[in-house]
Amino acid sequence: MTDISSLRPLLAILVSAVAIPVILSLKRRPNVREGVTITVAVAKFAIVASMVPGVLSGTRYVFSFGQLATGIELAFRVDPLGLLFGLLASLLWIVTSFYSIGYMRGLDEHAQTRYFASFAASLASAVGVAFASNLLTLFVCYELLTVSTYPLVTHDETDEARAAGRKYLAYTFGGGVAVLGGTVLVFVLAGTTAFTPGGLEGLATADPTLARAAFALLAAGFGVKAALMPMHSWLPDAMVAPTPVSGLLHAVAVVKSGVFGIARVVLDVYGTGTMEQLGVGLPLAAIAAFTLLTASIIALRQDNLKRRLAYSTISQLSYIVLGLGLLHGQALTGGLLHIPAHAFMKLTLFFCAGAIHVETHTDDISDMAGIGKRMPLTMAAFAVAAAGMAGIPLVAGFVSKWYLVIGALSLDGGLVFAAALLVSGVLNIAYFWPIVYQAYFESPDGHDEKPLLEGPLGGRDEVRADGGDGHESDDADDHSDEGGVPKPEHVDHLGKHHENHEHHGGPPAGGWDDRGWRGGESTWFMLGPILTAATLSLLLGTVPYTAVFLRIVDTIVSNLPGVMA
Amino acid sequence: MIEHLPVLLVVLPIVGGSIPLVASLVSERAGWPVATLTLIGQASLAGLLAWTVSTSGTVSYAVGGFAAPYGIELVVDGLSGAVALFVAVVSLGVLAYARQAGPHSSAFYGLYLLLVAGLTGMTVTGDVFNLYVFLEITGLAAYGLVASGRDASAAVAALKYLIIGTVGASLYLLGVGYLLAATGTLNMADLATKLGEMAAYDSTLVLTAFGLMVGGLTVKVALFPLHTWQPDAYANAPDTVSAFISALVSTVSAYALARLLFSVFTVEFLTAVPVARWALVGLACVSIIAGSALAVSQDSVQRMLAYSSVSQFGLVVAGFAIATPLAVVGATVHLLGHAVMKGGLFAATGVIERKTGATTVNGYAGMGSRVPLSAFCFAVLSLAMVGVPPAVGFVGKWYIVLGAVSAGNWPVVAVLLASTLLTLAYFARLVERLYFAEATIHSEEGLSEEAPVTDGSGQAVSFGMIAVVVIAAALAVALTAAVPAFEQVLRETLPQLLTQ
Repeated sequence: MTDISSLRPLLAILVSAVAIPVILSLKRRPNVREGVTITVAVAKFAIVASMVPGVLSGTRYVFSFGQLATGIELAFRVDPLGLLFGLLASLLWIVTSFYSIGYMRGLDEHAQTRYFASFAASLASAVGVAFASNLLTLFVCYELLTVSTYPLVTHDETDEARAAGRKYLAYTFGGGVAVLGGTVLVFVLAGTTAFTPGGLEGLATADPTLARAAFALLAAGFGVKAALMPMHSWLPDAMVAPTPVSGLLHAVAVVKSGVFGIARVVLDVYGTGTMEQLGVGLPLAAIAAFTLLTASIIALRQDNLKRRLAYSTISQLSYIVLGLGLLHGQALTGGLLHIPAHAFMKLTLFFCAGAIHVETHTDDISDMAGIGKRMPLTMAAFAVAAAGMAGIPLVAGFVSKWYLVIGALSLDGGLVFAAALLVSGVLNIAYFWPIVYQAYFESPDGHDEKPLLEGPLGGRDEVRADGGDGHESDDADDHSDEGGVPKPEHVDHLGKHHENHEHHGGPPAGGWDDRGWRGGESTWFMLGPILTAATLSLLLGTVPYTAVFLRIVDTIVSNLPGVMA
Repeated sequence: MIEHLPVLLVVLPIVGGSIPLVASLVSERAGWPVATLTLIGQASLAGLLAWTVSTSGTVSYAVGGFAAPYGIELVVDGLSGAVALFVAVVSLGVLAYARQAGPHSSAFYGLYLLLVAGLTGMTVTGDVFNLYVFLEITGLAAYGLVASGRDASAAVAALKYLIIGTVGASLYLLGVGYLLAATGTLNMADLATKLGEMAAYDSTLVLTAFGLMVGGLTVKVALFPLHTWQPDAYANAPDTVSAFISALVSTVSAYALARLLFSVFTVEFLTAVPVARWALVGLACVSIIAGSALAVSQDSVQRMLAYSSVSQFGLVVAGFAIATPLAVVGATVHLLGHAVMKGGLFAATGVIERKTGATTVNGYAGMGSRVPLSAFCFAVLSLAMVGVPPAVGFVGKWYIVLGAVSAGNWPVVAVLLASTLLTLAYFARLVERLYFAEATIHSEEGLSEEAPVTDGSGQAVSFGMIAVVVIAAALAVALTAAVPAFEQVLRETLPQLLTQ
């Protein structure tokens, strides 16, 4: 491990930060503005990618601003773990930028300049989180990430968007406060907050209660963004944001920064040895397993596609945290590999949902029967990504899940976790397969009932706690939005500029029209990214080593002292 | 002249303050140039003094040649040198704002300079009774400045401030009297040595003196529940005055409290009487929570900012009361940083009110597009107050939390961390309104030069006013870089202060 001083970590972060005022000044020239975004995204990816060969061979690129105050040293260091997240974020920003162009213009959205500028800021912060070399720098970039993503969540400027934004701020700043508390504790216990593979020595010898308290604070603080239960509820509400933002939040920047934070804490602040000594790995894994299963069950009942994907995200993120909590080689590999794997697959799924929204204004699964005719390529990509989510071979999700299950089985008492993973796989199929099946094999007139979605809670017969008269069953509300305000979960996106817009999704009279498989279903600005993301998922599933991510993950795990790969 | 610097620093604004009244015989608008010249001189002298202190150590000066402990002694160490310079520079900065915005009368500038004299006097004095004198000078000038607003509400607010402020100052004076009775001296350094010997730390006399003096100063700092004068004063005074007073008066009063804690009663007292320390810390924590709770419920933006001060000063006093080097550095950084941020926020509200007429939280809706620069600076300053790194608001908090954790005081740590969320509660909704809500106040169409200014919109906003706002916002972030150097300066002073 040689450290060389280099400007590249700083450049990778600043290239998009510098673009912010440029983008803001280009309000009247949208094409140039979008061009700036794409150029900057490609530049960022190029800088990060240029560091890959060096990092894989053991070099770390370091840039430091120096000691600003006691305990505050702003420094960046690109090591394999940071590179994993940074590479992922910068690659997917390129894809998302193209998709954003198609999406925002397709919906004729307002405030696009603010949108693209906030994206640039968010990515700068995300790469800052990735390359931070100590807890404090990570905290600084983490908070800046919250501030940069807030305008994106509240983009629509409707009441629901503002409420979602407030909830988002409350949760994420709350998490930030917990991280700050944990960071201070770590600094006091260990004298430094710098990331050290194998963990800080001071923590190994410190008072166990304080060390555990610090871990709890850090895990809870990062766990808010990682959507661990019970701190997850900001995520489904944040679905009110435009879909590329949901993709960004759920695949690239925010949630992965939470999970990344936990990874740093587990691997580079505490280290697997101290974690075992303190006995905090098991509670973490247990919470992750609980979240895994519960979120999958809740997802079964969501009719709004984006909310279903949100709960799926909550579930899948806990795969990563579970891998980290199990603390052993293959489970760690699986957990870390799931970071890019899930990112590619979830981004594909969200892009598909967004394309469906733009093209047909359909948001609810119950309106999507037969939509495979109208949007065949989109639904094909959806099918591939969904298969990967369930852990079906050839797609990225299988590789990470394989490592996770094998890793869990090789531990004493790991059978529970392996079982949870397998049950989750079944649940994934349960909530994704119907979408794919009805898209291709059913039509708007003839589709099967969905008892999980439509059935009243508690069974067919009305169960009333007060034993009152039988009313019309509740599920009538699920679908009626005539004359009343649509329920929040049915509303993807009632921007203030769309108030007058007829928001009935679903097939036009006469069923979906056939657009063929040659791309006539949507603009290539959206189809291109969808197919790219799906292809990346397939690549990572078939040749994970060549697609560089597994190699990075292996490097990370092999660098950890005391961990058997 | 260098030997006379400390006293010159006080004399210059006093002399300068009398000139506008004379000059008004010649010209109505003589006040501003006189004040500017005086304060430029003040700032240079303060800079010179601060540099002298940092190179050659603490400076002592016996006023009139009468030696301490019978004469009045002025003592300038690293902390007071920094604060004196800060007072001078910020006063000069607010003058740039006052040129267009503030009251233009000569009396106003006379009072302005008198306030600077009082504040500087409080900073450099080494005698507790002298501190009272300058405290009263500061108070009187402040009451007069608050009353210089046009409405009757300004007069009422000034009266309230006067009554409560005088009660506070009188409490402080009583405390001074008890200290004199206990030790026979009024000189701070002398008191520090004599308090432990001549009267035991936990004797009723000393405890009462402590309670009275701290109580009196807390009124001036405006901690809960002694803060009731502040929201009215800040909201009803002219904008210049709000910015000036919010930035400096409570700040220097908090500095005086720190001086009292460390140079008069000393850390030994705090250790010998833990109740005193923890009572102060407890009061500070209550202030943090209560101030934020009250701020959230406010409709008027300026009143909200006033309650925010109550909360932030709780943070500062908690840092001082914990009394470890880290905590004291943090409290000082937060004290000065808060002054910049709060002054900038008040200046921004003044600009926004003049341009759009908006004064309430709901009125601010949609102003992000009407006054983009001011709104952006407002948002930056708000986030800095919340404690988003890398702004200076974060650095102070970090040090104080670090100090509290090192001291092992967990409830205080929890309150300090929670303060971030509490501050977020009232600032986030403003930022949200600015950018993500539809405007409730719409600009009048065809605003002509002679448009009636009934709601305050359309009054001219000068370049100087906006420059002050922008510079404050820039400083809120840039001052973080100055913290290491500042910490160095403090670390040289602190050992003497904290280990006596």
